[in-house]
Amino acid sequence: MAIAIFFIAAAMAVAGGIGVISFRQPIRSVLSLVVVMIALSILFLLLSAQFIFVAQVIVYAGAVMVLFLFVIALLGPAKEMARGRLRFQTWLSALFVLALFGLVWAMLQGVQYRQPEKTDLNTFGTVQWIAVYLFTNYLYPFELTSILLLVAAIGAIYLSRKEGDDR
Amino acid sequence: MSGFDAGGSQLDASWFLLLAAILFILGTIGVLIRRNPLMILICIELMLNAANLTLVAFSRQLQNSEGQLFALMSMTVAAAEAVVGLAILVDIFRHRDAEDIDDLSELKG
Repeated sequence: MAIAIFFIAAAMAVAGGIGVISFRQPIRSVLSLVVVMIALSILFLLLSAQFIFVAQVIVYAGAVMVLFLFVIALLGPAKEMARGRLRFQTWLSALFVLALFGLVWAMLQGVQYRQPEKTDLNTFGTVQWIAVYLFTNYLYPFELTSILLLVAAIGAIYLSRKEGDDR
Repeated sequence: MSGFDAGGSQLDASWFLLLAAILFILGTIGVLIRRNPLMILICIELMLNAANLTLVAFSRQLQNSEGQLFALMSMTVAAAEAVVGLAILVDIFRHRDAEDIDDLSELKG
């Protein structure tokens, strides 16, 4: 059962990924990316990461994708030209990507995993379990993340202010 | 040895890693061959998601919390990156038409 779910979600993710890079109109690419996000959230559930699943659906499939859709709606349907200034760009990138994939494939062949830790699998990945680590061992990075988000919000407001509005 | 139990059947962590590699490669192709700056940002989001899948897969395989916490942090960083990147893009598009990423080469000097 889990194997079937894995392969369905993986097929969804790969199809969506191909859609992202092959559609000419940005809006279709964004919708394909939403498909990828949903498929990945199913995979997170298979990996018993419940909190990451919820965060993926809310933060990525919800907030970030809506942001992209808003920007596309704001900029209008930009047509993309197929021309490139660099000749052979497609072939060069295909070659580079094949080399990269070969490298990753070769690393995956002889992969050796460490012995799993003895964790209680009944609580693995739940909100409570994540929160215990987030607010004890990782409190400092967690607080730094809030500063990062604040800086990003201020930066976005500054960049999108009106012209000549320098008060 | 390299598998883990999921709802009664055995899943292999290397399947997840291979899928993440494929998604990352697709994102890389997109960044390399697309010309629209907005499309390049979208493909970077795809790559970040693939990296997240790797982190969570390792977290499950090793039954360790750090992978999921790192995935959470990288989600936050990706959201911040999307916000600032899109704001810069909107600002550029407001001043002129930049349908091609090669039109934005003034900083090259």
